[in-house]
Amino acid sequence: MEKEIFALVGFWEIILSIFMQWQAYTISNIKTFSVQSWILGIFLLWAGVFHGFTALIILALLTIITRAIAMPLYLGNTIRKQIYRARENKHRISTGLSILISLLLAVFGYLVYYLILAGYGQSLVSIPITLMLQGAFLIVSRSNAYSQLIGYLVMENSMFLLSFLFSELPFIVEAGIILDVLGVVVVAGLLMRVRDEDIEKEEELLG
Amino acid sequence: MLNLFFLSILQLLYVFALAPLAVGILHVFDERLSSRRGPSIFQEYYNLFKFFRKQSIYPKTASGFFSYVPYITFGMYLFLTLVLPIITAFPLLFGPVVDFVGGGLVFGAASTFLKLASLDSRNSYSILGASRASSIGIFTEPIILLIFIMFGVISGTNNPYVINNILQTSTSWFFSLVHLFVGVAFFLVLIIETGQLPIESHTPNEFGSIDSLMSLEYSGRELALLKLGSYIKSFLLMNVFLNVFTLPFFVPMKFNILAIVLYMFINFLKIILLLAIFAIINNIVSKYRLFKIFDYILIAFSFALMAMVVFYVVNGG
Repeated sequence: MEKEIFALVGFWEIILSIFMQWQAYTISNIKTFSVQSWILGIFLLWAGVFHGFTALIILALLTIITRAIAMPLYLGNTIRKQIYRARENKHRISTGLSILISLLLAVFGYLVYYLILAGYGQSLVSIPITLMLQGAFLIVSRSNAYSQLIGYLVMENSMFLLSFLFSELPFIVEAGIILDVLGVVVVAGLLMRVRDEDIEKEEELLG
Repeated sequence: MLNLFFLSILQLLYVFALAPLAVGILHVFDERLSSRRGPSIFQEYYNLFKFFRKQSIYPKTASGFFSYVPYITFGMYLFLTLVLPIITAFPLLFGPVVDFVGGGLVFGAASTFLKLASLDSRNSYSILGASRASSIGIFTEPIILLIFIMFGVISGTNNPYVINNILQTSTSWFFSLVHLFVGVAFFLVLIIETGQLPIESHTPNEFGSIDSLMSLEYSGRELALLKLGSYIKSFLLMNVFLNVFTLPFFVPMKFNILAIVLYMFINFLKIILLLAIFAIINNIVSKYRLFKIFDYILIAFSFALMAMVVFYVVNGG
């Protein structure tokens, strides 16, 4: 039962991240990320209630509050002040090609599991691997700093899913990760606002 | 044997009579949702009667082939009506003739004939429509094939009746992720095939129309047959979607005339539900630009391919 629900959640996360490749508007990417986090949070909440783990329930609530509500609101507010970043006018890779590459990454994720991790016996591991590759690809394929940030958050969601699959991490570590990500988002948002003026010189956060 | 023959005739009449009504109901839903009164739900019948009474005119440049195509395609759609599961979940008299791939082949042959005829008419708008329809068809065909392959994996066969029986009896397959993803992929393809809004808008200008351009040079009885044929095609595809893939419930598995007659009503209720969903979609999305359609097709393809990955991850791993 739990295996099936994990697969359901994982694959919808993958589908939503493929959907992100389709979007030209950053605000819809942020909303899609919010939906992803809602799905993850509700799944954690269900697992916590089902197994009676209080720590998992608190973690689920933290996930929903920070990732599904606070971060999208903060990013949405920031983007409203930088209206020229709301739409990505130059895709590095065309939309169709990037969807195809995402699909190939899904197949590649399964192959990685099959060739390297099959000895551990958990075929569901391929789902977080795929999601992580999708997030990384979102970072590589976009030149908009907000989309790149969303890609990073998708990767972070995938780590969360992966950690759920193995024996549970201590609560403090998981909660720490959530706060960490919140910090990253706030810093990134500030950074984007600071670099607002010289957008033409150094275009985006390209390292 | 005689029973099956009788049921085949009943199925033919059912589809023949209700296909235009379904289109009429869709138009009324569309108009009501945008706060207008809309035409009567029987308007499509009036249109068909009008076209049947009118005189047929052919372009001077067209060959004889142009005038035969409506009859050929109409015959093909009637043949498909006899072989698909619509009011029963057991094969009727012609049921064993083709499987899914064969049915898809007949659908494809009918649309190929239409494209050839529109090229033959030498109207540049018809040729535009044929080129649009074939460039979209090239990309939707692999998705449909992938969907059939995944249902073949679920059921071990290529037979729509067997797939219906398996999904009706096995809850584990019905609630599986593979089935869910294939269902979503088929729904996205169904929108393309029935010409609903994100893909095609049925307005008189040539920017958005695809299928309606191809029948531009037809008139009179041929136009009526083409229109009725396209209604039957949509009706059949919606029935395949509902009876085989998504809601395979209540379809009678054994011969029982009362259950079959009752199911005819239930089936039409299912169709009305699907039409309401189409009407809602038609009212909340606008038409995509022609080049954006291929991104939409890729999303449909990604659902179908995901179904395959899911099968390996969850069941085969």
